[in-house]
Amino acid sequence: MAIVKRAEGRAYLAPLVAFLLLFLGFPALVNLIYSVSTVSFENLRSPSLSGLGNYASVLADREFWQAVSFSMRFGILTALAECLIGLFLAIFLAPLLAKRSFLMAPLMLPLMVAPAMIGLMYRLVLHEFAGPVPYYLFLWFGDSPAFLDINNAFRTLIVVETLQWTPFAFLLFYMAYVAIPVDVREAAELDGAPWFKILWWIELPLMLPTLVIAFFIRFIDGFRVFDNVYALTGSGAGGSTTSLSIYIYQAFFKEGAIGKAVAASVMLFVASLAVLYGLNWLAGRRRR
Amino acid sequence: MLNTARWLVFAIATLAMNFPVIVTLVTSLKSASELSINPGLWISQPTVENYLRVLTHTDRFNIYSYLFNSTIASLIGTSLAILLAFPAAYAIARSEAGKRTLLPVIINLRAVPLIIFAIPLYMMYQWLGLLDTRLGLGLILTIVNTPLALVIMVNAISDVPLELDEAAKVDGASSWQVMLMIIRPVVRPALVTTFIFGFITAWNEFLFGLMLTTSQAVPMTVGASFFFAASGGGVQWGTASAVMMLGALPPAVLGLVMYRQISGSMTAGAVKG
Repeated sequence: MAIVKRAEGRAYLAPLVAFLLLFLGFPALVNLIYSVSTVSFENLRSPSLSGLGNYASVLADREFWQAVSFSMRFGILTALAECLIGLFLAIFLAPLLAKRSFLMAPLMLPLMVAPAMIGLMYRLVLHEFAGPVPYYLFLWFGDSPAFLDINNAFRTLIVVETLQWTPFAFLLFYMAYVAIPVDVREAAELDGAPWFKILWWIELPLMLPTLVIAFFIRFIDGFRVFDNVYALTGSGAGGSTTSLSIYIYQAFFKEGAIGKAVAASVMLFVASLAVLYGLNWLAGRRRR
Repeated sequence: MLNTARWLVFAIATLAMNFPVIVTLVTSLKSASELSINPGLWISQPTVENYLRVLTHTDRFNIYSYLFNSTIASLIGTSLAILLAFPAAYAIARSEAGKRTLLPVIINLRAVPLIIFAIPLYMMYQWLGLLDTRLGLGLILTIVNTPLALVIMVNAISDVPLELDEAAKVDGASSWQVMLMIIRPVVRPALVTTFIFGFITAWNEFLFGLMLTTSQAVPMTVGASFFFAASGGGVQWGTASAVMMLGALPPAVLGLVMYRQISGSMTAGAVKG
């Protein structure tokens, strides 16, 4: 007996679908139309079709490729750092946390603070006169780097992002780690396997799906980064910290280049869909 | 010995990851005169004058209005997401409708950078008069919250034994009644978790707050950055720190109280999706 008939099911889905079509479907359509039009704030409702000119001008824009490169490097490096540190913390701290789960709370606190807020906080932390980090570096070593200048901004942002989001990777890994059945581990210990062999041959393979998922979630979040970078440096440091999201934001709000911003949006959309469906396809193949 | 090392690693990790919050808390408790000579991590004369100033001098930047806007927009964004996602989750869990197409699309939505939709949404809001309104911001936050809300609730409803529904059906209940009177009470914990987690996510959102509000509906995350705009004589670090602490407090308190439930929902999409 089906609890919910098909037609009824559709009715339950309808409000959500309608809402998504209005707030995501319609904008996606507008994006597509505007991206092949000459459009400015004066002729928003009657854009004139103009072919692929907007795409051409984005693809010829050096700043666009700089932004793509920033987002790509930022996404990969932060995801790697977060997963490595998170994995270490999850496994090394597991015996500590097993009996004292309240210790999780301070480890998870960074996830509860808005990334934009964290970005603002680091303005204070790294400020050359008011910030404690430069203060102590001067006190102990007599010198402190300019954390947000063109040479260091990228590295600084990597550290900022990694410190905030490592807890997320840690959390995923810790849950996967404690979910490994005790008898699997005990059997290996009984056979006299040393801990690093148990880790490498038994525990890590069991955690592999979680490792892959965590890496991709963190990569995607790093790739589309906006809040903390914008709050900390804007696109500052000579444009060296313009992520793809910031590029689109600025093309629209600072330059009023609607066509350019929209064409870049469509390309980002297509790229993220390609990655997502590629991943789903891979996951589907693995299952079979 | 090994245990000492674990405690040490725990202490270092906690300090490093929470460092900006600690620094901001310390700075918010320093007087203006102490700030100019002591950027370190100790306070010789703690004071709450920064908090008093933020809470009483509201003529230029009104923190109450930012807190109020964030609260209302987050409540709309969370409640509406649950209202839309709960029946949908019920249909997906209990019938074939939407399982193959809608659910994967919405799960993937979590990974699509929402900036993609930002420009058309901005124009749409301009036509509809939703720019700079709490309702407009709340509607966007609904979009932000929907994917995870749906995943958590589909998982929760799927875990409810089918016999419960069937028994009610035999007694003559319609599926609508089953959903509201049988399923809803059973999955109440999941609804609460979704609500708390959605509220935190909505409160912490920044991009759409920045783009879609200018003065009347500015949320806390955006309002906090106003205190950094150089206003002659540079940033008032004590004031700015107090603002950041007050702005970060609601989600942090909710998160610390509910950390067990939240860790579950944060990983829901990753583990089961």
